[in-house]
Amino acid sequence: MKLVVCLKQVPATTAEKRYTADLRLDRAAAEAVINPLDEYAIEQALRLQESGAVDAVSFLSMGPEQSAEALRRALAMGGDDATLVTDPALAGADAWATARVLAAALDRLAPDVALMGMASDDARGSLVPGAVAAIRGVPLLSYGSELRIEGSMARVRRLTASGFNVVEAPLPVVASVTDQVGEPRYASLKGIMAAKRKPMETWSLADLGLSAADLRGAALTRVIEARKPEAKPPTERVENMSPDEAVTRIVDWLAARKLVS
Amino acid sequence: MSIDIALLAEFSDGSPSRSALELAAGAAELARQSGGAAVALAYGPGATGAASLGAAGAARAVVLGDGAAPAVTHAMAASAAVRELAPLAVLAPATPNGRDLAAALVGLLGLPAFGPVRAVRIEGGRVRTEQATLQGTVITVSEPAEGAPEPAIVLLLPSTFTPIEGGSGSAAVAQAPDSQPGAFGTVRIVESHPAEAAVANLEEATIIVAGGRGVGSAEGFAPLRELAAVLGGAVGASRAAADAGWVPYQLQIGQTGKVVKPALYVGCGISGAIQHRVGMQTAENVLAINKDPDAPIGEFADLFVVGDLFIIVPKLTAEIRRRKGI
Repeated sequence: MKLVVCLKQVPATTAEKRYTADLRLDRAAAEAVINPLDEYAIEQALRLQESGAVDAVSFLSMGPEQSAEALRRALAMGGDDATLVTDPALAGADAWATARVLAAALDRLAPDVALMGMASDDARGSLVPGAVAAIRGVPLLSYGSELRIEGSMARVRRLTASGFNVVEAPLPVVASVTDQVGEPRYASLKGIMAAKRKPMETWSLADLGLSAADLRGAALTRVIEARKPEAKPPTERVENMSPDEAVTRIVDWLAARKLVS
Repeated sequence: MSIDIALLAEFSDGSPSRSALELAAGAAELARQSGGAAVALAYGPGATGAASLGAAGAARAVVLGDGAAPAVTHAMAASAAVRELAPLAVLAPATPNGRDLAAALVGLLGLPAFGPVRAVRIEGGRVRTEQATLQGTVITVSEPAEGAPEPAIVLLLPSTFTPIEGGSGSAAVAQAPDSQPGAFGTVRIVESHPAEAAVANLEEATIIVAGGRGVGSAEGFAPLRELAAVLGGAVGASRAAADAGWVPYQLQIGQTGKVVKPALYVGCGISGAIQHRVGMQTAENVLAINKDPDAPIGEFADLFVVGDLFIIVPKLTAEIRRRKGI
C-alpha cells in the first residue's frame, strides 16, 4: 500500500508579502513554510504508516526550487522519499495547471492514495484535490476528519450540516483531510538527520512528458490589480469602565446600528 | 459568444439550500449584465423540484441528480450539462460540496477558476472577480487569461448575494444530458450519523455570538446562548472551543470552519488569531469582549470591550431584555 502526500510551500502566515511587477506573489521575498494544512495530511499519512495500513509514504511538491526545503522538512517528520516537480514554465501556475502537473506526476508514482491538505494558506480555493482526481479519473474523498484504509477501500469521516458521514471509495483515490486528524508532530533532531539521507528526485515538465504548451501558459487566470484592503474605521475601546457603564455603551452602540430596538 | 450564467444549486431535505438561493440571485444579476439567462444546475434531495428556483432568479434549471448521494457523484452530469449549456460562468458555493463539484469541473474541462471571491461582475462580456488573498492582507482583481476556455468557475463566499424576496415564476426544468458517472460515481455514503441535537446553520444567521478559549468550558457557553437568543442570533465558536469539545465542529468559524458574514458578530473570549479572522472579517459589525487588553481582536473589532465576559454578557442580555420589555 503506497501513499503520496502532495504538499505546497507557502509564505509563512506572519511573513511580509509582496507582489512582483506582473502581480504574482513574490515567493522569493517571503519566509516559506510547509502549508500548515498540509502538515495534517502528513500527520495522517504517518499515522497510517505506523499502524501498518500503509507501507510507503512519499512526498510530492510542485513549485520553485526552494520547495525542496519543504520536502526536506516533511521527510524530517517521517516518510520514505520525495519528489519535486520544478520548471520555469510553471511560475504562476493556477489551480488547473497545478492539478494537471500533479496528476501527471502521480500517474508515474502510482500511489493507492494521493493525500492532500484541505486548502492552501495562500490560494484557499481547495480545488486541487478534486481537479487532480478528475484528471486522473479516480474517486475523490474530500474533507476527511479521519482517513482509513480497509481492504481495497478508502474511507473518510466527513462532517455534515448536523453530524457526520462515513464516505467510501475503491482504491486508488485522491483524498483530502482537515485539521481534525490530529496535531502534526514536530521533526525530531534524529528525524532531521535521517531526512538528509532520504532520496529526493527532481523532475522537470519534460520528465513528465508535458510541455509549456500543454499548460497553456501555466495559468488560465490573470491578476489585473492587487491592492490593500479598504481601511476600516479605528476600533473604539471600552476600558476602565464599570461593567454597567460598559454594557450601556454596548447597547447604545447596538442601537445606533439598529441591531437592537 | 457565451452569455448565460450557470450556478450550482444544492438541495437538501427537499428544498434549495441557502447558497442556492443566494447564487440564483447572483446569477440573475450577472445575467442582466451579460444579456443572458441564469441557469441552475440542481442536485441533492429535492432537486427534481428545481422549478421553484424560478422565484429565486433562475430562468431555467437542469437536474443533475436527486437523492442523498455525495455531491461529487454528480460531477460527470455537471460536466455534460456545462458542455451543452456553454455558459460564460459557473457560480459555485464555497462550501465543501460546492468546491468538490467546482474542482471536478476544473479538472474535467480544463477551466479557469476563481475564488473564493467576495465580488464578481461582468464587464465588456468578461468575468471579473475580486478576492481577498494572503489572509486578507491583499485584494486582487482577476479575470480569465486571453484565450482561456469558457466558462469561468467562480467560488462565492456565503452572503455575497442576497436571496430575492417575494419573487415569482417558475424555472423551466430539464434533465442533464446522459453521462457515465465514472470514477466519481463510486463514492458512496456507508454510514450516516446525525447529531443528537439540532445544529444551527451559521451561514444563515444575521447575528452570531461566538465563544473561544476564554469561555473555558461547555457550560460557559450558556450565557452566550442566552445573549444569542435575545438578539435573535446563533452561537458560533473558534477552533479552540470546538477542539476542546465544548461545541460541535459545525459551529466552528474560521479558515477550516465556516466563513460567515453576519450583520453583527460578537466575539467572547476569542483572541482573534488570523485563522479565525479569515472566517468572520467581512462581518458588518464586530463587537469583541475579552479580558486581555492586548488580544489581536482588539485591532480589528469595531467595538472592543476589555472585561470579564461572564460579568458583561449576562448584564448585556438583561439590559437588552429590559429595553425590549421582555
